[in-house]
Amino acid sequence: MSQQATHSLPRPWLAGLREAIPLLGGYVPVAISFGLIAVQAGFSTWEAVVISTLIYAGASQFLFVGMIAAGAPLWLVVVMTLLINVRHVVYAPNIAPWLTASRAWPWLMHGLTDQVFALAHTRLPQLPASQRLGWFTGAALLAWFSWIGGTALGAVAGEELTRRWPLLGEIMPFALPALFLVLLAPRFTDRRWSLALGSSIAIALLLTVNGLSNAAIPLGAACGALCFYLVKLDSTTRGR
Amino acid sequence: MSTALWLAVLASSLGTLLMRLLPLLWMRRRLERLDDGDDGFDAMPQWLGILGPLMIAAVLGTSLVPTTVDATSWLATAIGVLATLAAWWRLRSLGWPIAAGVAAYGAVVTLLG
Repeated sequence: MSQQATHSLPRPWLAGLREAIPLLGGYVPVAISFGLIAVQAGFSTWEAVVISTLIYAGASQFLFVGMIAAGAPLWLVVVMTLLINVRHVVYAPNIAPWLTASRAWPWLMHGLTDQVFALAHTRLPQLPASQRLGWFTGAALLAWFSWIGGTALGAVAGEELTRRWPLLGEIMPFALPALFLVLLAPRFTDRRWSLALGSSIAIALLLTVNGLSNAAIPLGAACGALCFYLVKLDSTTRGR
Repeated sequence: MSTALWLAVLASSLGTLLMRLLPLLWMRRRLERLDDGDDGFDAMPQWLGILGPLMIAAVLGTSLVPTTVDATSWLATAIGVLATLAAWWRLRSLGWPIAAGVAAYGAVVTLLG
Protein backbone atom coordinates (compact mmCIF):
# COMPACT_ATOMS: atom_id res chain seq x y z
CA MET A 1 0.00 0.00 0.00
CA SER A 2 1.38 3.37 -0.94
CA GLN A 3 1.61 5.65 2.09
CA GLN A 4 3.65 8.33 0.46
CA ALA A 5 2.49 11.77 -0.58
CA THR A 6 3.10 11.30 -4.26
CA HIS A 7 1.95 14.59 -5.72
CA SER A 8 0.45 17.94 -4.72
CA LEU A 9 -2.56 19.62 -6.28
CA PRO A 10 -2.98 23.34 -7.02
CA ARG A 11 -6.56 23.42 -5.65
CA PRO A 12 -7.20 20.32 -3.55
CA TRP A 13 -10.95 20.91 -3.01
CA LEU A 14 -11.40 21.16 -6.78
CA ALA A 15 -9.48 17.92 -7.26
CA GLY A 16 -11.73 16.33 -4.62
CA LEU A 17 -14.81 17.52 -6.51
CA ARG A 18 -13.44 16.20 -9.81
CA GLU A 19 -12.44 12.82 -8.42
CA ALA A 20 -15.84 12.35 -6.76
CA ILE A 21 -17.72 12.88 -10.05
CA PRO A 22 -17.90 9.11 -10.77
CA LEU A 23 -19.85 8.74 -7.53
CA LEU A 24 -22.67 10.77 -9.05
CA GLY A 25 -23.36 7.99 -11.55
CA GLY A 26 -24.37 5.79 -8.66
CA TYR A 27 -25.72 8.38 -6.23
CA VAL A 28 -28.11 10.38 -8.41
CA PRO A 29 -30.19 7.49 -9.86
CA VAL A 30 -30.48 5.83 -6.43
CA ALA A 31 -31.36 9.16 -4.77
CA ILE A 32 -34.02 9.76 -7.44
CA SER A 33 -35.46 6.32 -6.62
CA PHE A 34 -35.43 7.16 -2.92
CA GLY A 35 -37.22 10.48 -3.47
CA LEU A 36 -39.85 8.75 -5.59
CA ILE A 37 -40.39 5.91 -3.10
CA ALA A 38 -40.54 8.30 -0.14
CA VAL A 39 -43.27 10.38 -1.80
CA GLN A 40 -45.18 7.23 -2.75
CA ALA A 41 -44.92 6.13 0.91
CA GLY A 42 -46.65 9.33 2.02
CA PHE A 43 -43.72 11.65 2.83
CA SER A 44 -43.66 15.18 1.42
CA THR A 45 -40.80 16.39 -0.81
CA TRP A 46 -39.30 18.38 2.08
CA GLU A 47 -39.50 15.45 4.45
CA ALA A 48 -37.71 13.20 1.94
CA VAL A 49 -35.01 15.86 1.48
CA VAL A 50 -34.56 16.25 5.27
CA ILE A 51 -34.18 12.46 5.65
CA SER A 52 -31.52 12.40 2.91
CA THR A 53 -29.74 15.42 4.40
CA LEU A 54 -29.63 14.11 7.97
CA ILE A 55 -29.46 10.31 7.78
CA TYR A 56 -27.48 10.24 4.49
CA ALA A 57 -27.11 6.47 4.23
CA GLY A 58 -28.74 4.88 1.17
CA ALA A 59 -29.86 1.39 2.15
CA SER A 60 -31.02 2.39 5.62
CA GLN A 61 -33.11 5.25 4.24
CA PHE A 62 -35.05 2.87 2.00
CA LEU A 63 -35.59 0.61 4.98
CA PHE A 64 -36.63 3.56 7.17
CA VAL A 65 -39.27 4.76 4.71
CA GLY A 66 -40.43 1.22 3.91
CA MET A 67 -40.90 0.26 7.57
CA ILE A 68 -42.72 3.51 8.37
CA ALA A 69 -45.06 2.93 5.42
CA ALA A 70 -45.68 -0.64 6.64
CA GLY A 71 -46.63 0.67 10.08
CA ALA A 72 -43.68 -0.80 12.02
CA PRO A 73 -43.07 0.52 15.58
CA LEU A 74 -40.78 3.56 15.52
CA TRP A 75 -38.25 2.12 17.98
CA LEU A 76 -37.81 -0.88 15.67
CA VAL A 77 -37.41 1.41 12.66
CA VAL A 78 -34.60 3.30 14.45
CA VAL A 79 -32.90 0.09 15.64
CA MET A 80 -32.97 -1.49 12.16
CA THR A 81 -31.71 1.72 10.54
CA LEU A 82 -28.75 1.87 12.93
CA LEU A 83 -28.07 -1.85 12.56
CA ILE A 84 -27.66 -1.49 8.81
CA ASN A 85 -25.30 1.45 9.30
CA VAL A 86 -23.14 -0.21 11.95
CA ARG A 87 -20.55 -1.17 9.30
CA HIS A 88 -19.56 2.51 9.21
CA VAL A 89 -17.73 2.18 12.53
CA VAL A 90 -14.62 0.77 10.84
CA TYR A 91 -14.34 3.49 8.19
CA ALA A 92 -13.05 6.51 10.15
CA PRO A 93 -10.31 4.64 12.07
CA ASN A 94 -9.02 3.34 8.74
CA ILE A 95 -8.40 6.83 7.38
CA ALA A 96 -7.51 8.43 10.75
CA PRO A 97 -3.71 8.08 10.31
CA TRP A 98 -3.91 10.45 7.33
CA LEU A 99 -6.19 13.08 8.88
CA THR A 100 -4.66 16.32 10.10
CA ALA A 101 -5.31 18.06 13.43
CA SER A 102 -8.13 20.26 12.09
CA ARG A 103 -11.32 20.41 14.16
CA ALA A 104 -13.37 20.17 10.97
CA TRP A 105 -12.64 16.46 10.51
CA PRO A 106 -15.12 15.08 13.08
CA TRP A 107 -17.95 17.04 11.42
CA LEU A 108 -16.88 15.93 7.98
CA MET A 109 -17.37 12.33 9.08
CA HIS A 110 -21.09 12.85 8.34
CA GLY A 111 -20.03 12.48 4.71
CA LEU A 112 -18.11 9.23 5.23
CA THR A 113 -20.33 6.88 3.23
CA ASP A 114 -19.21 3.52 1.77
CA GLN A 115 -18.24 5.16 -1.49
CA VAL A 116 -16.52 8.24 -0.04
CA PHE A 117 -14.56 5.95 2.28
CA ALA A 118 -13.41 3.81 -0.65
CA LEU A 119 -12.20 6.90 -2.50
CA ALA A 120 -10.60 8.56 0.55
CA HIS A 121 -8.86 5.37 1.69
CA THR A 122 -6.98 5.29 -1.60
CA ARG A 123 -6.41 8.99 -2.23
CA LEU A 124 -5.64 10.51 1.20
CA PRO A 125 -2.33 8.62 1.66
CA GLN A 126 -1.22 9.90 -1.75
CA LEU A 127 -1.80 13.58 -0.89
CA PRO A 128 0.43 15.93 1.13
CA ALA A 129 -1.01 16.52 4.65
CA SER A 130 -1.81 20.18 3.90
CA GLN A 131 -4.14 19.20 1.04
CA ARG A 132 -6.13 16.39 2.59
CA LEU A 133 -8.78 18.52 4.33
CA GLY A 134 -9.52 20.47 1.14
CA TRP A 135 -9.62 17.33 -0.99
CA PHE A 136 -11.95 15.48 1.40
CA THR A 137 -14.24 18.51 1.80
CA GLY A 138 -14.66 18.82 -1.97
CA ALA A 139 -15.28 15.10 -2.50
CA ALA A 140 -17.62 14.62 0.47
CA LEU A 141 -19.69 17.74 -0.20
CA LEU A 142 -20.22 16.89 -3.86
CA ALA A 143 -21.42 13.41 -2.89
CA TRP A 144 -23.70 14.78 -0.16
CA PHE A 145 -25.24 17.51 -2.32
CA SER A 146 -25.78 15.07 -5.20
CA TRP A 147 -27.64 12.75 -2.81
CA ILE A 148 -29.82 15.60 -1.52
CA GLY A 149 -30.40 17.02 -5.01
CA GLY A 150 -31.21 13.58 -6.43
CA THR A 151 -33.74 13.00 -3.65
CA ALA A 152 -35.46 16.33 -4.36
CA LEU A 153 -35.52 15.56 -8.08
CA GLY A 154 -36.94 12.10 -7.46
CA ALA A 155 -39.61 13.43 -5.11
CA VAL A 156 -40.70 16.14 -7.54
CA ALA A 157 -40.32 14.43 -10.92
CA GLY A 158 -39.12 10.87 -10.30
CA GLU A 159 -42.03 9.21 -12.06
CA GLU A 160 -41.66 11.35 -15.17
CA LEU A 161 -37.85 10.86 -15.26
CA THR A 162 -37.97 7.08 -14.99
CA ARG A 163 -40.66 6.94 -17.68
CA ARG A 164 -38.77 9.19 -20.10
CA TRP A 165 -35.23 7.77 -19.63
CA PRO A 166 -35.68 4.22 -18.34
CA LEU A 167 -32.17 3.14 -19.40
CA LEU A 168 -30.36 6.00 -17.66
CA GLY A 169 -31.10 4.63 -14.20
CA GLU A 170 -29.83 1.26 -15.36
CA ILE A 171 -26.58 2.35 -17.04
CA MET A 172 -25.23 5.16 -14.85
CA PRO A 173 -24.97 3.10 -11.62
CA PHE A 174 -22.20 1.06 -13.30
CA ALA A 175 -19.94 4.03 -12.51
CA LEU A 176 -19.81 2.77 -8.92
CA PRO A 177 -18.41 -0.74 -9.53
CA ALA A 178 -16.08 0.76 -12.15
CA LEU A 179 -14.78 3.23 -9.55
CA PHE A 180 -14.28 0.53 -6.92
CA LEU A 181 -12.51 -1.67 -9.46
CA VAL A 182 -10.04 1.10 -10.25
CA LEU A 183 -9.49 1.74 -6.52
CA LEU A 184 -8.95 -1.94 -5.73
CA ALA A 185 -6.95 -3.09 -8.76
CA PRO A 186 -3.57 -1.88 -7.38
CA ARG A 187 -4.17 -3.84 -4.18
CA PHE A 188 -4.01 -7.24 -5.90
CA THR A 189 -0.32 -7.32 -5.09
CA ASP A 190 0.20 -10.96 -4.04
CA ARG A 191 -1.61 -14.30 -3.72
CA ARG A 192 -2.76 -13.63 -0.17
CA TRP A 193 -4.35 -10.27 -0.87
CA SER A 194 -5.79 -11.49 -4.18
CA LEU A 195 -7.54 -14.40 -2.46
CA ALA A 196 -8.84 -12.24 0.38
CA LEU A 197 -10.12 -9.47 -1.91
CA GLY A 198 -11.53 -11.96 -4.43
CA SER A 199 -13.46 -13.85 -1.76
CA SER A 200 -14.84 -10.60 -0.27
CA ILE A 201 -16.11 -9.58 -3.71
CA ALA A 202 -17.59 -13.02 -4.44
CA ILE A 203 -19.32 -13.46 -1.08
CA ALA A 204 -20.79 -9.94 -1.11
CA LEU A 205 -22.00 -10.45 -4.68
CA LEU A 206 -23.62 -13.82 -3.87
CA LEU A 207 -25.33 -12.46 -0.77
CA THR A 208 -26.68 -9.47 -2.70
CA VAL A 209 -28.00 -11.69 -5.51
CA ASN A 210 -29.80 -13.75 -2.86
CA GLY A 211 -31.49 -10.69 -1.38
CA LEU A 212 -29.17 -10.22 1.61
CA SER A 213 -27.74 -6.90 0.46
CA ASN A 214 -27.72 -5.38 3.96
CA ALA A 215 -25.54 -8.14 5.38
CA ALA A 216 -23.39 -8.43 2.26
CA ILE A 217 -20.77 -5.79 3.11
CA PRO A 218 -19.89 -6.83 6.69
CA LEU A 219 -20.14 -10.57 5.93
CA GLY A 220 -18.17 -10.26 2.67
CA ALA A 221 -15.39 -8.34 4.45
CA ALA A 222 -15.38 -10.84 7.35
CA CYS A 223 -15.03 -13.78 4.94
CA GLY A 224 -12.20 -11.96 3.17
CA ALA A 225 -10.43 -11.39 6.50
CA LEU A 226 -10.84 -15.06 7.38
CA CYS A 227 -9.34 -16.00 4.03
CA PHE A 228 -6.45 -13.56 4.63
CA TYR A 229 -5.56 -15.18 7.96
CA LEU A 230 -6.11 -18.75 6.69
CA VAL A 231 -3.62 -18.19 3.86
CA LYS A 232 -1.12 -16.92 6.42
CA LEU A 233 -1.66 -19.97 8.62
CA ASP A 234 -1.31 -22.25 5.60
CA SER A 235 2.01 -20.71 4.51
CA THR A 236 3.30 -20.78 8.13
CA THR A 237 2.45 -24.49 8.41
CA ARG A 238 4.16 -25.26 5.11
CA GLY A 239 7.20 -23.26 6.21
CA ARG A 240 7.65 -25.68 9.11
CA MET B 1 -44.78 14.03 9.81
CA SER B 2 -45.75 13.61 13.42
CA THR B 3 -43.47 14.64 16.29
CA ALA B 4 -42.72 10.98 17.02
CA LEU B 5 -41.67 10.44 13.40
CA TRP B 6 -39.40 13.48 13.50
CA LEU B 7 -37.81 12.10 16.65
CA ALA B 8 -37.22 8.78 14.84
CA VAL B 9 -35.51 10.66 11.98
CA LEU B 10 -33.35 12.60 14.45
CA ALA B 11 -32.43 9.48 16.45
CA SER B 12 -31.46 7.61 13.27
CA SER B 13 -29.45 10.61 12.04
CA LEU B 14 -27.64 11.14 15.33
CA GLY B 15 -26.92 7.43 15.73
CA THR B 16 -25.50 7.18 12.20
CA LEU B 17 -23.36 10.30 12.71
CA LEU B 18 -21.99 8.94 15.99
CA MET B 19 -21.12 5.62 14.35
CA ARG B 20 -19.07 7.55 11.81
CA LEU B 21 -17.58 10.07 14.26
CA LEU B 22 -16.85 8.31 17.58
CA PRO B 23 -14.46 5.69 16.10
CA LEU B 24 -12.44 8.59 14.66
CA LEU B 25 -12.08 10.18 18.09
CA TRP B 26 -11.08 6.78 19.55
CA MET B 27 -8.48 6.25 16.85
CA ARG B 28 -7.10 9.78 17.24
CA ARG B 29 -6.58 9.18 20.96
CA ARG B 30 -4.87 5.89 20.21
CA LEU B 31 -2.61 7.57 17.66
CA GLU B 32 -1.73 10.33 20.15
CA ARG B 33 -0.92 7.75 22.84
CA LEU B 34 1.26 5.68 20.55
CA ASP B 35 2.81 8.61 18.75
CA ASP B 36 6.56 8.12 18.81
CA GLY B 37 7.37 9.76 15.52
CA ASP B 38 6.40 6.72 13.45
CA ASP B 39 3.94 6.74 10.60
CA GLY B 40 0.39 6.75 11.96
CA PHE B 41 -0.37 3.69 9.85
CA ASP B 42 1.90 1.61 12.10
CA ALA B 43 -0.19 2.57 15.15
CA MET B 44 -3.35 1.17 13.59
CA PRO B 45 -4.44 -2.27 14.85
CA GLN B 46 -3.46 -4.81 12.19
CA TRP B 47 -6.97 -6.22 11.79
CA LEU B 48 -8.29 -2.72 11.09
CA GLY B 49 -5.74 -2.10 8.35
CA ILE B 50 -6.75 -5.38 6.72
CA LEU B 51 -10.48 -4.75 7.08
CA GLY B 52 -10.37 -1.41 5.20
CA PRO B 53 -9.56 -2.75 1.72
CA LEU B 54 -11.80 -5.77 2.32
CA MET B 55 -14.77 -3.49 3.07
CA ILE B 56 -14.14 -1.74 -0.25
CA ALA B 57 -14.00 -5.16 -1.96
CA ALA B 58 -17.35 -6.09 -0.38
CA VAL B 59 -18.87 -2.77 -1.51
CA LEU B 60 -17.62 -3.62 -5.01
CA GLY B 61 -19.26 -7.05 -4.78
CA THR B 62 -22.64 -5.56 -3.87
CA SER B 63 -22.44 -2.87 -6.53
CA LEU B 64 -21.63 -5.41 -9.27
CA VAL B 65 -25.18 -6.76 -9.08
CA PRO B 66 -27.09 -4.98 -11.87
CA THR B 67 -30.31 -3.03 -11.29
CA THR B 68 -32.21 -5.50 -13.49
CA VAL B 69 -30.94 -9.03 -12.93
CA ASP B 70 -31.03 -10.84 -16.31
CA ALA B 71 -28.57 -12.43 -18.77
CA THR B 72 -28.06 -9.19 -20.72
CA SER B 73 -27.23 -7.19 -17.57
CA TRP B 74 -24.75 -9.83 -16.38
CA LEU B 75 -23.09 -9.89 -19.80
CA ALA B 76 -22.96 -6.07 -19.75
CA THR B 77 -21.44 -6.20 -16.26
CA ALA B 78 -18.74 -8.66 -17.37
CA ILE B 79 -17.87 -6.58 -20.43
CA GLY B 80 -17.96 -3.36 -18.39
CA VAL B 81 -15.56 -4.87 -15.84
CA LEU B 82 -13.17 -6.00 -18.58
CA ALA B 83 -13.30 -2.59 -20.29
CA THR B 84 -12.64 -0.81 -16.98
CA LEU B 85 -9.68 -3.06 -16.13
CA ALA B 86 -8.23 -2.82 -19.65
CA ALA B 87 -8.39 0.98 -19.55
CA TRP B 88 -6.92 1.04 -16.04
CA TRP B 89 -4.09 -1.31 -17.09
CA ARG B 90 -3.22 1.01 -19.96
CA LEU B 91 -3.72 4.43 -18.35
CA ARG B 92 -3.36 3.88 -14.57
CA SER B 93 -5.70 6.81 -13.96
CA LEU B 94 -9.05 7.22 -12.20
CA GLY B 95 -11.44 8.94 -14.63
CA TRP B 96 -11.03 7.34 -18.06
CA PRO B 97 -11.27 3.70 -16.97
CA ILE B 98 -14.63 4.52 -15.31
CA ALA B 99 -15.87 6.27 -18.45
CA ALA B 100 -14.74 3.29 -20.55
CA GLY B 101 -16.53 0.84 -18.22
CA VAL B 102 -19.81 2.81 -18.22
CA ALA B 103 -19.66 3.24 -22.02
CA ALA B 104 -19.08 -0.50 -22.56
CA TYR B 105 -21.83 -1.43 -20.10
CA GLY B 106 -24.23 1.06 -21.68
CA ALA B 107 -23.42 -0.14 -25.21
CA VAL B 108 -24.23 -3.78 -24.34
CA VAL B 109 -27.46 -2.86 -22.51
CA THR B 110 -28.58 -0.60 -25.37
CA LEU B 111 -27.71 -3.06 -28.16
CA LEU B 112 -29.04 -6.21 -26.54
CA GLY B 113 -31.68 -4.80 -24.21
